[in-house]
Amino acid sequence: MLIPRRVKHRKQHHPKRSGMAKGGTELAFGEYGIQAVTPAYVTNRQIESARIAITRHIRRGGKVWINIYPDRPLTKKPAETRMGSGKGSPEWWVANVKPGRVMFELSFPNEKVAKEALIRAAHKLPMKCRIVRREAGES
Amino acid sequence: MAEVKIAAELRKEFGKGAARRTRREGKVPGVVYGHGADPVHVTLPGHTLMLALKTANVLISLDVEGKSELVIPKAVQKDPIKGFLEHIDLLQVKRGEKVSVEIPVQVEGELAPGGNLIEHVLNALPVQAEATHIPESVSVSVEGLGAGDSVVAKDIVLPKGTVLDVEKDAVVLQIVAAQAEAPAGGGEAAEGAAGAGGEA
Repeated sequence: MLIPRRVKHRKQHHPKRSGMAKGGTELAFGEYGIQAVTPAYVTNRQIESARIAITRHIRRGGKVWINIYPDRPLTKKPAETRMGSGKGSPEWWVANVKPGRVMFELSFPNEKVAKEALIRAAHKLPMKCRIVRREAGES
Repeated sequence: MAEVKIAAELRKEFGKGAARRTRREGKVPGVVYGHGADPVHVTLPGHTLMLALKTANVLISLDVEGKSELVIPKAVQKDPIKGFLEHIDLLQVKRGEKVSVEIPVQVEGELAPGGNLIEHVLNALPVQAEATHIPESVSVSVEGLGAGDSVVAKDIVLPKGTVLDVEKDAVVLQIVAAQAEAPAGGGEAAEGAAGAGGEA
């Protein structure tokens, strides 16, 4: 699973959820991709789950790119704990994904299988997504 | 490449408020620059511009309040979700002038059998071409290529009057072997290795 090797601050503020993706909004490597339509925190478990969904469906002959990285820790206080006494302990690693961001890319010769694989992966993700494909010739 | 005629209006108010008003009217704010002249801020019709931009590096004959000039799109900003054009940078060109542009690479032919995959290193090829004769795309033949083969920039046959604007040995696309089949269950190590390799 994706996890940062070393971080400067173990506990951080929650990342901002507002706004649109500033970059990474177009396909850079593959022919097909999954684009976020709504904002969400995507955990490393969800990323891994989506990746496995793709690789198991295409079986062989394709290539997968993951364009997001879960570099933000989220903390959680234990259950039935009174407020105060400091910040909770790190619980999840998330990628802060904004609308428009292309999260996964895939190259695969068969379009139907590629789209099926990406739809399976999109079901593992916590936001509304859409499948995008490379359009030749547009500026 | 045929010219597309678009009538533009000069922009008189600036800033995000004015730009949003312009977009609400179905128009696109833009700027025209080049040849050391002062930039000209214009408003363009959204739908016409969108149709024109379906062609890569389209040559536009821009009519700004009676004065006509040739331009090509330099940078296009789009809404990533809805796809609306938000802003466009247009570069002034002259007939016969050479400009640096990127033209899309189109792949032709069938790979050698073996389930290999084409990996595009350059999706668009940087070239220098005459502003009025920019090729729409370049074709690259991958007929019979196998895993490990690659196509470099100098292998591509360019139309007359077009020269490369990238190193001759720059890899445009390469043929990669198919990844090994993922095990049906519990093969985390093998899949992890494959995923890490493909990660950008």
